[in-house]
Amino acid sequence: MLVKEGEYLFLEGDKGTSLVIVKSGMLVGMSKQLRQRHWRNFGPGSIIGEFSLLESKPREYTLRAAENSEVIFIEQSALQRELELKPGWFQSTLSFLANHCHIAEDNLKKSKIVQALPALLFLFSKHLNSSGSDNITLAELHKKMLVLNNTEFSETDKLLQLLEDLDILKVEGDIVRVPNLQIIPLLYEALRYRALNKQVSPDILSITEQLVLTSFVKAVQENGIAIRGNKVTVPTEILKTEAKKAMHGGLLTRRTIAPLLEASIVEATPAEGQSPTLDDTESFTADFYHVIDLLELNRIFPLLDKKLV
Amino acid sequence: MNGNSRQQVIPPAHSSVKAGFVVYSPDSGKRELIILDEGELVAVDKQGGNRDIKFRMHPGDIVGVASLFEREPFRYTIEATEDSRITLISEECLESELKNIPIWLLATLRSLSVNTRLHKEAAHRTPVENTLMSLAEYCAHLESGVKYPVDTLTREFNWLTRIPPATIKADLKSLLRRNFIGLSKDGESLQLVVHNAMLLQIYSDYLYAREEGLVWEPLRLSLPQKRILVHLTTIDAGVEMEAPEWIRLLNERELPIDVAQWITLQDLGCFKEGLENKFRVDMKKIEYYLTALRYDSNLRGAV
Repeated sequence: MLVKEGEYLFLEGDKGTSLVIVKSGMLVGMSKQLRQRHWRNFGPGSIIGEFSLLESKPREYTLRAAENSEVIFIEQSALQRELELKPGWFQSTLSFLANHCHIAEDNLKKSKIVQALPALLFLFSKHLNSSGSDNITLAELHKKMLVLNNTEFSETDKLLQLLEDLDILKVEGDIVRVPNLQIIPLLYEALRYRALNKQVSPDILSITEQLVLTSFVKAVQENGIAIRGNKVTVPTEILKTEAKKAMHGGLLTRRTIAPLLEASIVEATPAEGQSPTLDDTESFTADFYHVIDLLELNRIFPLLDKKLV
Repeated sequence: MNGNSRQQVIPPAHSSVKAGFVVYSPDSGKRELIILDEGELVAVDKQGGNRDIKFRMHPGDIVGVASLFEREPFRYTIEATEDSRITLISEECLESELKNIPIWLLATLRSLSVNTRLHKEAAHRTPVENTLMSLAEYCAHLESGVKYPVDTLTREFNWLTRIPPATIKADLKSLLRRNFIGLSKDGESLQLVVHNAMLLQIYSDYLYAREEGLVWEPLRLSLPQKRILVHLTTIDAGVEMEAPEWIRLLNERELPIDVAQWITLQDLGCFKEGLENKFRVDMKKIEYYLTALRYDSNLRGAV
């Protein structure tokens, strides 16, 4: 079949049941998924539409003749005739190769998304930090992801959707807004720490530590304890009562709270060295909003890993 | 194209195996397709002295396709769990079969195999094509004048982008040559200083515009417009006026500007729109353009 320069063979998404072989000339494959410089050229000997032939998959590209060209269409009936002449294992092999190709393509797409997440968090946290604003335009984020990590717009959108599902941010038309300015930098730092040091970030807490901090927050909220600046002090007795409820009858001990003291997330009064037992400790003080952020980080962190994998 | 010249096909080998028989061992280095006709086979991972059954094969199942077509060694031992009948397709047998298929079908098989390999390789490679642009964007987010250990930055940037450390090192040299960054020794550790983070942002934007075939905004500025920008830096950032007032003011100060030029400056983001159609100078944007113009030769690599 002869195709004149500029003529279209089919459009992206069209139903396809045939393979196209370029005998001479040049065809160009364009896709909404790809930017212009990634359009594909198909010269003599190229084949297009393997999955349309094998599995009736819609066309991946809009195919246009870049110059006068000659093409051959191979229909499914020709494939069927050929397979009937072959032993059964031949068709199984063909199906296996097609399936294997799909799996490799899916894995590549997934790996690109997983790999792009730190870049998105990096750019977002740096923007929040330098601008002091709670939002960034979608256009700017798209461009920066493309520049930093060659992440296509559609991949950035998938990542944003994932983070929106976890309530980390909200896409409002052309704007991406964060409800909490601290979470994205904390999340980025936790991931960075894990990647660079090959160990869990100190901000990722054990279940017991999270329960103690949850008790701390409840103690403040349910007892109307005043927050001065960002700091709040909870008397030990109140914390013990709340911890007993949160830990289903388990008791708060000096040992359970020790890692939080060591990490300076909470401070004891009198200071740690002077109050070796819990009964000698009058109260515990912490930056209330930092505690809330840490609990939010610890809620998100395992979910993020699960969502990505 | 229709492959009518059929050649002789080497027939596959059929055999019966007893339960426990090892049909394939990874140590053998053999590359063949194994088809189970009757009975049951298991694929066992024996690495590290363990015996981990990966999957069971039932009649009609086939293994070894990837090892033959994609040269990917099959990692598991295949054993019969009961008396079974199998068909073995050797490399020679497959090749003789492939010689008897039309070229388009052979091309389809090859394309599937090549694409699988390319997808697998791409999953382990950096997705970044312009590594210098990527590094400039990364460095644009560092604080100007602060010393950072190069080793830590390299590790972080490599984690973010998977760009190999050797490429990062070469790109750092390129930024150094353009005087965008400084490198100094602090004891054993090499430290990096970004002289002006905005300049790196400008460089990243410049490379992006070049790559996408876009006109780079600072190059759109005419000489009179550049003079206007310089003058705007002397105006208080809080001054807000409607467009005609701005045009009048600039003309009074012997900086001729018409409506078309005003629209261009607005398009370039030099003015921010406030309430009631009033505009004020976007000092950050003006600084961006003036810095870009001042360091034009550094950006083009002509220093």
